[in-house]
Amino acid sequence: MLKNLYIEWLKIRRYRTFWVFSILFLVTILGINYISYEIKESTSASSVFGSPFRFPHVWQTITWLSSYSLFIPGILMITFFTNEYTYRTHRQNIIDGWSRAEFIHVKLAMIGIIAVLTTFIAFLNVLLFGLSTASSFSLDKIEYLFYFFIQALSYTSVAFIIALLVKRSGLAVVLYLSYAFIIDNVFKLLLNKYFWQTGNYLPLETTDVLIPLPFFGNVLPYQANHTTALIMAFIYLVAYYLFANWKFKTADL
Amino acid sequence: MQNSVLQIDKIDKHYGTLQALRQVSFNVPKGSVFGILGPNGSGKTTLLGIIMDVLKASSGSYQWFGEPPTSNQRKRMGSLLETPNFYHYLSAIDNLKISAAIKGVEDSHIHSVLEKVNLGERKYSKFKTFSLGMKQRLAIAACLLGNPEVLVFDEPTNGLDPVGIAEIRNLIQQLASDGKTIIMASHLLDEVEKVCTHVAILQKGKLLANGHVQDILSNDDIVELSCNNIELLQKVALQITGHTKLEQKENTILLFFPSGSANLESINQTCFQHHITLTHLVLKKRSLESKFFELTNA
Repeated sequence: MLKNLYIEWLKIRRYRTFWVFSILFLVTILGINYISYEIKESTSASSVFGSPFRFPHVWQTITWLSSYSLFIPGILMITFFTNEYTYRTHRQNIIDGWSRAEFIHVKLAMIGIIAVLTTFIAFLNVLLFGLSTASSFSLDKIEYLFYFFIQALSYTSVAFIIALLVKRSGLAVVLYLSYAFIIDNVFKLLLNKYFWQTGNYLPLETTDVLIPLPFFGNVLPYQANHTTALIMAFIYLVAYYLFANWKFKTADL
Repeated sequence: MQNSVLQIDKIDKHYGTLQALRQVSFNVPKGSVFGILGPNGSGKTTLLGIIMDVLKASSGSYQWFGEPPTSNQRKRMGSLLETPNFYHYLSAIDNLKISAAIKGVEDSHIHSVLEKVNLGERKYSKFKTFSLGMKQRLAIAACLLGNPEVLVFDEPTNGLDPVGIAEIRNLIQQLASDGKTIIMASHLLDEVEKVCTHVAILQKGKLLANGHVQDILSNDDIVELSCNNIELLQKVALQITGHTKLEQKENTILLFFPSGSANLESINQTCFQHHITLTHLVLKKRSLESKFFELTNA
């Protein structure tokens, strides 16, 4: 697998889009956190519930805010994968001697790596903002970082599945963004309203609800069951894996 | 069969209601230059796609080196299917690094294969800046990585200029003389005749014939005769023994003989005995083209 990951690295290391996306992601995640930090720290609202950027609350705050930038690694994944279809290199890799399983597994491993790196960047943001409030470092509530990792896996996987299905980058990106930001939320509202709150367990919602809104305390009327949400997230991830594997192994490439 | 590099057994391929391949079976002997000949849309590329595992057969099976297909076998082959497939944003050398890494071939081979196809000077240029012919040559360079025993080429001279075509044909002949097995799809009859030892003819997904090129593509001797008195010549020609068919084409009589059995000397003698002085006497192998049309129109 390491050798195959090295081959993926050969594909992207001189790919300018990859570097531009990575820098944009860093800027975006820092920007989202900074904007909220400035607003919260300069308003008196923070004093009522305690500053959300102080340890231990900062774990939840930063991961919740950072999750709004997860569409960038998603689009990056779409670009990686649809490139193979555009250049027909998915065929060439197989012809050159990869098995279909190897091809799909290394892509799934890339999702894992993207999620780890994304989580690490969120962790650096936690340190940066948490420590700049002059609060003392605490591992209390670090579980939010794990939830963020699951969320990153989930967002990148959904992007990957869409890319696998539509194969064209433009269409895949539009579908992904409208699903992640609008369609998923519309279905959530409808299902929550008419079908006993099941909307919270939609593919992206189930990881969104793992990290609830960190501001204003717990004033929201309903919060999803954490354990159920986590179990659903795992079920989805396994389903993505099985589907991608089956699809790529049986399709004409 | 021990001597077969590839055995294809009753392969069918459907695309919805369209049947692209019907019960195709043949063997590719080790060391042969095996041409798969057929008009456009006859299923050549589909067949090559199946044996390289980028397409799935609807039914039937194939074996490489006498064993069920695996990805590791493909590492011992060089293949060019349809169009050259490379990362457009990478240079020639970076693209070949990926192919070499997948095949488990040392990077040091890259330089020599690029030289072999005359791309040495452009190795740091991005693939997207290449002309069609250069892309094709890069794809052939990728096929040569690791000095594979088997080469699979789909229309290898596609998009090349006459010099490039000649170069690639020489290269194929050179590879064949090194003992490599070459499987090559082509719609160009004379390409197959020039470089192949064996041929399989496909039409609308059906295998029409396969075997040695000389058996399949030229199994008749044709003798062309003409003189000033064509009516007399026709009468006399009927008395010539051993011919299977006689045709008259304007002022020429065509006599067909089984391969290798036409004897010009005795034909000339027979005519002379009947006071005919021939103005034209030529032995021709049946033209590849006419044979091909005959086969594919059957």
